[in-house]
Amino acid sequence: MSFFDFLINLFKRNKKVSIGLYGHPNSGKTTLANQIAKDWTGKDIGSASNIPHETRTVLKQEKIVIKDGENELDFDIIDTPGIATKIDYQNFLEFGLEEDEAKERAKEATKGIIEAIKWLDDVTGVLLVVDATTDPLTQTNITIIGNLEARNIPFIVVANKIDMEDANPNRIVSVFPQHTVVPVSALNGEKTDELYKVMFKKFN
Amino acid sequence: MEGLKMDFISSEALENASSMEKIYMIIEKVKKGAVVVMEGGLSPSERAELIETTMREIDVENFVGIDVHTLEKNSSSFFGFSKKKTVVITIIGPANVMKTVKKQSNLLSMVADLNNG
Repeated sequence: MSFFDFLINLFKRNKKVSIGLYGHPNSGKTTLANQIAKDWTGKDIGSASNIPHETRTVLKQEKIVIKDGENELDFDIIDTPGIATKIDYQNFLEFGLEEDEAKERAKEATKGIIEAIKWLDDVTGVLLVVDATTDPLTQTNITIIGNLEARNIPFIVVANKIDMEDANPNRIVSVFPQHTVVPVSALNGEKTDELYKVMFKKFN
Repeated sequence: MEGLKMDFISSEALENASSMEKIYMIIEKVKKGAVVVMEGGLSPSERAELIETTMREIDVENFVGIDVHTLEKNSSSFFGFSKKKTVVITIIGPANVMKTVKKQSNLLSMVADLNNG
């Protein structure tokens, strides 16, 4: 190993890698965070549900090490609340929540979104989780990508929910042709090996 | 609400405003029920700031947030070698009023629900 390589490795070791999971509510961020954590540490990070804004505070799992032969990526995973421009408590009533509970959930969700945006200053890489069954060209996704580009934060667009019949990951590729898009199913772990390979390249 | 108020803002009107001035002006108008139609777009950090400010202003009974839509045009740069999209019009309105929005490449169609305003 040359002295130059030694210095690069030294800096790499000292630089803490924090990978944030960003995206819309219900895009599958916590399910993906759990899948990654389960694959490499054997335990979950948080609870996922069908009700939007289930994750309302940032969840952090420190020290995940993923390996592929000699490659190793050591990082903290930051699972952020889904980002939205609106929160109507009445939408939660459809999921059987009581009115008070729904209002409280809405209040907590607004705080969670602010916290998620603040964390953009601290993450060193991002997995932008996009629900492949929905239109990916949203203001939320555009805002997240614009901010990542402006801050030079490397990111991967994860086209999630490919296990669903109406998933269309190609639509995500066509909408974001200049970005790396990896289709996965976070729910059943399908194609997560591909994601890990791309993570080595992007975040190491 | 008796009718829908729409505020059209030229890019000249905003060029000397700071990011926070722009955002508070937009939020104040939208909170009062107006739909703001702006010439041009917001920067990525302004868009993030707009979401953050909206979240601070949400009160569960009266203001549930905003809807943002844009119309873009393709613009070439670097002697035409690279193409990127430039926002020409930004529409921001109260989420409970902007009910149906259909977007095609050159057309944005919105139906306002005045009963919720």
